[in-house]
Amino acid sequence: MIESPDPLPDFDPDFDEAAYLKLYPDIAAAVSSGKRRSGLEHYLRYGRAEGRHFVGRRDHWTEVRFGASAGLEGGPAAAPRHAIETVLLSESGRLFITGWFDDSRTRLAALRVEGQGWIVRLQSEALSRTSRADVEASLGRTERGALGFFVLLNAGSPLAISADCRCVLEWESAQPAAKTIPIRVVAAAELREIVLGYVTAAASGGSQVPAMLALDAMAGDQIVSLNRAITERITAAPFVERFGPTTRDCKGSIIICLYGRPEYLAIQNALFTRKPGIEDYEFIYICNSPELLERLLKEARASALIYGLGQTVVGLPANAGFAAANNAAARLARGRRILFVNPDVFPKDPAWAARHTGIVEAGGPGSRLFGATLFYDDGSLMHGGMYLELDTGLAVRGDRVETRRFARVEHYGKGAPPDTAAYLRPRPVPAVSGAFLSVERDWFERLGGFSEDYVLGHYEDADFCLRSLAAGVPAWVQDVRLWHLEGRGSVRRAVHEGANIVNRWLFSRRWAELISTDLCGPAPRRDLLADVAPPACAASRRDAEEMSATETVPEPTPA
Amino acid sequence: MNNPRVLLISVHHPELVRGGAQQVCYELFEGLKESPDFDPVLLAAIDNSDPALYRSGARITGFDGRPDEYLFLGRDYDFIWHKTTDPRMVEAFAEFLALTRPDVVHFHHFLNLGVDLLTLTRRVLPDCRIVFTFHEFLSICHAYGQMVRTTDRSLCGYASAVRCHQCFPERAPETFFVRKQWFREHLDAVDVFTVPSRFMIKTYADWGLPPERIRHVSNGQRNYSAGPIAEEPRQRRNRFGFFGQLVDGKGVAVLLRAAGLLRAQGFTDFVVEINGDNLRYASEAGRAEFEGFRAAEEALPVEQRNIVFSGPYQVDRLPRLMARIDWCVVPSVWWEVFGLVISEAWMFRRPVIASDVGGMAERVQHEVGGLLFPMGDARALATTMHRACTETGLWDRLVAGMPEPPTRETMVEVFAAVYRGEAA
Repeated sequence: MIESPDPLPDFDPDFDEAAYLKLYPDIAAAVSSGKRRSGLEHYLRYGRAEGRHFVGRRDHWTEVRFGASAGLEGGPAAAPRHAIETVLLSESGRLFITGWFDDSRTRLAALRVEGQGWIVRLQSEALSRTSRADVEASLGRTERGALGFFVLLNAGSPLAISADCRCVLEWESAQPAAKTIPIRVVAAAELREIVLGYVTAAASGGSQVPAMLALDAMAGDQIVSLNRAITERITAAPFVERFGPTTRDCKGSIIICLYGRPEYLAIQNALFTRKPGIEDYEFIYICNSPELLERLLKEARASALIYGLGQTVVGLPANAGFAAANNAAARLARGRRILFVNPDVFPKDPAWAARHTGIVEAGGPGSRLFGATLFYDDGSLMHGGMYLELDTGLAVRGDRVETRRFARVEHYGKGAPPDTAAYLRPRPVPAVSGAFLSVERDWFERLGGFSEDYVLGHYEDADFCLRSLAAGVPAWVQDVRLWHLEGRGSVRRAVHEGANIVNRWLFSRRWAELISTDLCGPAPRRDLLADVAPPACAASRRDAEEMSATETVPEPTPA
Repeated sequence: MNNPRVLLISVHHPELVRGGAQQVCYELFEGLKESPDFDPVLLAAIDNSDPALYRSGARITGFDGRPDEYLFLGRDYDFIWHKTTDPRMVEAFAEFLALTRPDVVHFHHFLNLGVDLLTLTRRVLPDCRIVFTFHEFLSICHAYGQMVRTTDRSLCGYASAVRCHQCFPERAPETFFVRKQWFREHLDAVDVFTVPSRFMIKTYADWGLPPERIRHVSNGQRNYSAGPIAEEPRQRRNRFGFFGQLVDGKGVAVLLRAAGLLRAQGFTDFVVEINGDNLRYASEAGRAEFEGFRAAEEALPVEQRNIVFSGPYQVDRLPRLMARIDWCVVPSVWWEVFGLVISEAWMFRRPVIASDVGGMAERVQHEVGGLLFPMGDARALATTMHRACTETGLWDRLVAGMPEPPTRETMVEVFAAVYRGEAA
């Protein structure tokens, strides 16, 4: 059969060609081999019928119109079952909507929200879909699906506040459904907590993958944007008070970010004082818990008298998270060197400070940015540098299995015997833990500090190290021994789980490709890290390569 | 040249709160006052159980017109890390040190003041001699320093992060690792540690303190008796006395249960007198058991009662109280690091029936100066009490074999040597 000349268009302004090909590698292969002209052509000709997704351009997913209003349009069939459960609005114009709908019969084309003098229209691709066991049970569905949704968007300008709004679900082949929903006005910080709660809930069955896939829609970028707006305001005008003597020739500023646990100021003062070389350092405590600031000031005042260490207390009006708070503290540092130290880190080697100064003053490739060997309280090794792994995440979406590669950060030698020389020797590593991260101040500033895109905490340390590596300076781990009571120096709330998911999603998006190229595993191939792997890891990599070359593993020969 | 000034720091003032640690500290204070070689000053902590003694804006004040006695008006005390969270208390203590300029600072505790004041003392007075006397194991053990497992009330032989976490499951093991580091850091400011019983040296050395810096100094007291108790010859030695705080660790419940067992066995020819105070510091369960026993006893007709609840006492009443008994029972269910009541019983030539652990076992030689029974075993105590009531000649034999209690003068002499830095 001879095909007639193709009447299909070559371009659709709403279609994201690259994203479609990325989503469907088989079609990408077909296009590159010339079997198909483009992803759009495939979608229009076959993909739609096959149930594949129309991948819209993100910047076309939403539309905000001011000074507009709209009425309901008629449709051929009754609307599928659905509910809009929450509409939250921040004063700066961020809108958060949650609910669920059953799109098994017909696709949702768009969700329209009509307020007082504004209309927001969201294409269905903008919605983060999540599983909702309660809805599935209510509908009598036996197969798991993603019936729930949430969406966060920034209108760019404040939206007029009214008691309620009208939400319209536009279906591809059903009658639109409209409902009036009350609007709750929330502060940006509260909005962040609520949204992160939904992200946490989206991690169904203990797997972060569904939640991270949900962030792909639009929520991930929007959460990052919301978080940045919050932290910028929080860190704009910190409260600063200095205590104790001024360190004369300040060789380094030790920055500790406190959250929820003020007692660690006095404990660290007690355990860091009277150690050789500590007099060359100043301490800066930055507090992400404003309710604890008064107590912290008391602790600092008493500690200055008891221990005699020079220190600064910086108070923030809310929780800015690890990256933004540390960046704010770094701006107040007087040292040429900056050491980011967790509140639950204490000297194991009493001479650690003198040793640290020695490494810095000796210079060399391992001195610009390095981490420490950290130990658990039981004596075993907790950190001898960090390496990166990739996990394949799977999620069932309708009749498809979606896959994505997500990065994971691991510690060299976690739980290893404390005298494992392979992990203790100074060497370049892909990254080091932010529990103790020492960096030349100039280099820290040139790299722009920690990325404040990360929400609350986690992954910003590895991100910083990878940016440094990309700029030609790998992080090293040096044998400076400290205790680290991982996770005990601050409180952890439910919201942190959501933040962790967002951060892993963000970190993966930024670095998964580079990691897969030459940074994956404990023995990465990247040139600057040639010496990174401890012998055991290097051996296992060689073994793996040899096995791969022979393809089969011979059975042991019977004697 | 002036005499060396010794600042004695006490957990409480014994005039306000009874207890062994403060009593020994005060004995030492009075002994040093009598010595021509030292100028002692006492700083005793108080807590909010005496609110009337708090003066507005004051952190340290004098006490009741007594020369050289001061009160540390404690507040905002953190019982987890054993420190005050009020910097004004720290500043007041530093100023007090600067004003009194002691040559020796002798801590008889850190409770109610703060263990971090040891480090502060070293900073304010770099050349002073710091002496610390342990009266239990609070540095090692978060369970009131008693080293008794909260899980099953058994004695604890050593602390570790995981074992302490087992006693306090709500606290992570790492908390106890840091706790130890915290205490060790502050105790490092001390020149000499003293303990009232020898077995404590091993416990603290095993925990990590340098054994060469730990010395044994017995708790001494002045003799409260005015000679032997004048009494008529008695056929039976069947009167038992308990003296001490009514807190769980002192084991008064074991004695009450033993009395109940004797009665249940049909043996009623005995009397137990309970002398003591501070039931408010007992656990809720301990309080309930004690109150229940007392209510039941007091509901009996007078002629059927075997137990007399005599209430609190001061040491000046000891001659009367000791005259009413034949045996002093020390049924503590913890290590009882010294047991002042043993010394007090010996002052009045009263043999002791004690638990067979810790300071009690170290001091009371079984069948020589007293009798020991398995700690916490009410049935064994009942058997021992029955024997004490019925065995002819036992009481006289034990009285004859009983040692003399350590004196205040001896204690002052030994501490004087410690203050001067003389070798043991």
